[in-house]
Amino acid sequence: MYYRIIRKDILKSKVITLTTMIFIAAAAMLVSLAAILVVNLSGAIDTLMTQAKTPHFMQMHSGEIDTGRLTAFAEEYGNVDEFQVLEFLNVDGAQIIFEERSLADNVQDNGLSKQGEKFDYLLDLDGNVINVSDGEIYVPICYMRDNTAKVGGKAVICGKEFTVAGFLRDSQMNSMLSSSKRFLVSENDYMEIKGLGSTEYLIEFRLKDLSALGAFETAYTSAGLETNGPTITYPLFKMINAISDGLMIAVILLVSALVVAIAFMCIRFTLLAKIEDDYREIGVMKAIGLRVTDIKKIYLAKYAAIAMVGCILGFALSFVLRGILLENIRLYMGESENSSFALLFGIIGILLVFLAIIAYVNGVLKRFRKISAAEAIRFGTSQEKSAGAKHFCLSRNRLFDTNIFLGVKDVLARKSIYVTMLAVLVISAFIIIVPQNLYTTISSKSFITYMGIGSSDMRIDIQQTDNISEKSVEILKTMKGDTTISKYAVLTTKTFKAKTEDGLEESIKIELGDHSIFPLEYSEGRAPVAEDEIALSVINANELDKKVGDVIPLVIEGKEKKLTVCGVYSDITNGGKTAKAVFNDNSADIMWSVIYAELMDKSLVGRTASEYANRFHFAKISGIDDYISQTFGPTISSIRKASFAAIAVALIITLLVTLLFMKMLVAKDRYSIAVMKAFGFTNSDITAQYVSRSVFVLIVGIVLGTLLANTLGEILAGILISSFGASSFKFAVNPLSAYLLSPLMMVCSVLIATTIGTSGVGQIKISENIKE
Amino acid sequence: MKKIIIGENIVKSFGEGDEKRNVLDVVSVEINEGEFVSVMGPSGSGKSTLMFALSGMDGIDDGKVVFDGRDLSALRENELADIRRTEMGFVFQQPTLLKNLNILDNIIIPSMRDNRKNAAEITEKARALMKKVSIEELEKRDITQVSGGQLQRAGICRALMSNPKIIFGDEPTGALNSKSAQEIMNIFSEINANGTAVMLVTHDATVAARTERIMFMRDGKIVSEMRLPKFIGTDINDRMEKVTAKMREIGI
Ligand SMILES: Nc1ncnc2c1ncn2[C@@H]1O[C@H](COP(=O)(O)OP(=O)(O)OP(=O)(O)O)[C@@H](O)[C@H]1O
Ligand SMILES: [Mg+2]
Repeated sequence: MYYRIIRKDILKSKVITLTTMIFIAAAAMLVSLAAILVVNLSGAIDTLMTQAKTPHFMQMHSGEIDTGRLTAFAEEYGNVDEFQVLEFLNVDGAQIIFEERSLADNVQDNGLSKQGEKFDYLLDLDGNVINVSDGEIYVPICYMRDNTAKVGGKAVICGKEFTVAGFLRDSQMNSMLSSSKRFLVSENDYMEIKGLGSTEYLIEFRLKDLSALGAFETAYTSAGLETNGPTITYPLFKMINAISDGLMIAVILLVSALVVAIAFMCIRFTLLAKIEDDYREIGVMKAIGLRVTDIKKIYLAKYAAIAMVGCILGFALSFVLRGILLENIRLYMGESENSSFALLFGIIGILLVFLAIIAYVNGVLKRFRKISAAEAIRFGTSQEKSAGAKHFCLSRNRLFDTNIFLGVKDVLARKSIYVTMLAVLVISAFIIIVPQNLYTTISSKSFITYMGIGSSDMRIDIQQTDNISEKSVEILKTMKGDTTISKYAVLTTKTFKAKTEDGLEESIKIELGDHSIFPLEYSEGRAPVAEDEIALSVINANELDKKVGDVIPLVIEGKEKKLTVCGVYSDITNGGKTAKAVFNDNSADIMWSVIYAELMDKSLVGRTASEYANRFHFAKISGIDDYISQTFGPTISSIRKASFAAIAVALIITLLVTLLFMKMLVAKDRYSIAVMKAFGFTNSDITAQYVSRSVFVLIVGIVLGTLLANTLGEILAGILISSFGASSFKFAVNPLSAYLLSPLMMVCSVLIATTIGTSGVGQIKISENIKE
Repeated sequence: MKKIIIGENIVKSFGEGDEKRNVLDVVSVEINEGEFVSVMGPSGSGKSTLMFALSGMDGIDDGKVVFDGRDLSALRENELADIRRTEMGFVFQQPTLLKNLNILDNIIIPSMRDNRKNAAEITEKARALMKKVSIEELEKRDITQVSGGQLQRAGICRALMSNPKIIFGDEPTGALNSKSAQEIMNIFSEINANGTAVMLVTHDATVAARTERIMFMRDGKIVSEMRLPKFIGTDINDRMEKVTAKMREIGI
């Protein structure tokens, strides 16, 4: 009997059933995809890092190296399993030339490397350790992605010609987030070129017991070994590998949460409308002694059927789409070993969606208890009235057109139904605005000030060379005489020793210079101005456990110098662990210098940059726009794409849901429509009433959605951004698109949907609905 | 006498193919201005269908309906709606009030559509009408908070708001007890005395007996017609006898 009731019901409301099913299928698909991706990603990363034998601890170092001392340390320290020092030959991008183009304007630190002897292997695309022959070169996989190089093509590095033998996976530096990229050449070729670049050392350890990594780090620092460069540990490698696909998964999860929410809203709406329709029948069933659970079963069975079909459809779809989304993971990290688990987790995800829907329907059906049989039979409707609508009388209405009034009144009188539509529209507005604002923010020039980079026009990096200080003075002299440059500043980074609470010494990189010329955004406090002040990056402040006002003792030439923390800022450069101060120092070696400059005429940035580049070969010079576009370019463009996709998705959702709701309402309100037609309202009057309903709900939805986007959305985006190491995030808004264009697009789709959804009004016959 | 409605050879059928049946089988009706007529007949004989056809609410398959000099079949749907709103009034058996609105709003809604600026005037007129039918206390009530008879009076007020040329009533007293029915009939008589034509569909001989002309329908045809003098409030028993005699004669 259930089957027959369900079938009739579904056939009677095909569009509505179908839409609900589509949303359920989409939700199920996304959840299943997310589950499959998580399992595959973590599996692939594990496989990659196991095959490559990624170091557990790596210290990068430039300058003198005492290998003997390091070997002795490694032998002495019990937990060290294996130890090696790899060389990384930094080569200027302009010296790396592929058939079509060089890497001159590439912001990555590209360099040559030999294959690891004991571990840290560079792998080919099948996951095997590469055995490279003379004359061959293996190119980082990211250059396959952007079509810079082709297998079999020629590459000229520092004048020496190589054949591209293949691409490599680098368990350390695969990710675009790591700033270095290793090219693999043979031992002989490496030796031949070695003199033409600057050598950096990768001091690498693998431990017997990875859990004792913290103790090992401390031991390494306190042994006073080479530390002139960033330190990276196994968990960090893992995170860097996970982050870009991880973000994608996070986005999918977020979207699937939204879609699930929308599916719920559709269910709620159709269910409430159905209950309103069936009010009298439900009352009668109660009156003749059926139990609430019996009545519920009929409704539950229908949604169980819809949910089941939707879930199966979604699972099938996720199978089809899985390949596309896994492509990136497969390319960068290879196959996962536990892909069969992925299936299992996908199914579990789908089951969760299914159960959630059943639980939700069950929850909505709780209302059955409240239905009074007597009331239902006498009046056929619920007696509950919304308080707000009562005082909203037509007789007192001077303001609105009668049709508009009736539309608004209906919304106020049946809030619980319209709340559902409102929720969907709020979500849509949210989905439209947040990615858009995020894009506006990230692509705005001032955004880099959240990232630890001053807002300037041109940036000159002097590193991996000697006599940095003389070289920067040389450039500064030129700038002083250059009338096109309005202001400039040099910031010099040096390593110092800081004393921690427990008396140990930890190295800290401090950028010295005048920080007021190209200021940053400070999440707390301000830039250092006095000799005894220091500002810390967020990551450093957390790691050192310092807040504004705390004191950090530095050890300079044996003497202690106390610095007060005056500010905390976000930073993504140099692993995010930086500090800024203004004091003068001649003791420590300069690690690198950065010169920022601002031009009188912004349009000359490109020309000036290339002039300086020709003049000062030792420096890496980039217009800040290039710098931004290369550092964040891929991120910006993917967020841009995402924001367009989000707009499209949200508009489709708006359209579909409005259409669904309007169709449903017209079907429900047939009687009132017939009555109004009987006493002389035209079809367009009635359409106008429905348009006012949906536009009224939409306006409230847009306002709420915008508010929500600027509060909750900002927080969410802040969390996303902080995964790059930046905090203290504020949206930059493009008011034209966010507050005019986007609402307008929503209004259009709602209008279209309402017009289509209410096109059935014309077919409603008075005589068929008012039976006498 | 000027005719307000002329229906000529109206045919209306439902169903397709073999199922097809003429519910109005070549029916001709004329109603004079200010006339008080009623239609009687067994259930399913086509009374409501006739009323829907004459008021232009439903299309017809053949014949024509002329309302106040205009051929309804030549008019577009919106023009028909305008006529219904401004020149006709309707009262149905089940009170067709909108459940979102209170009594007063239900009464004024068609007038407000056209003339929102005059809301004060409209409301005043509505109150006067409500007073006339003794529901002036109820204007703020929800439609679920009043009795069936009171709802029917509200429906009549709504029909009268536009000073219609004719009021159609499809069993307006069918859902009421006899006392309420009498009161409603008094209201119709008064409306008619003021010059508005009234056409009532009814099963009830006491209702029909108060009208000037009764049409009897069976199987989609008007099978008989009888005239009565204008009702002046005293000879109801006499009229009832005539009507029941006629009904017996034609076997309804
Ligand atoms: N939309 C429709 N489709 C098919 N048949 C219909 C439709 N509307 C009415 N009918 C048929 O037309 C005939 C006349 O219906 P109508 O409503 O006019 O009867 P009535 O005389 O008003 O009856 P009652 O006294 O019961 O109100 C009935 O037999 C009915 O079954
Ligand atoms: Mg009828």
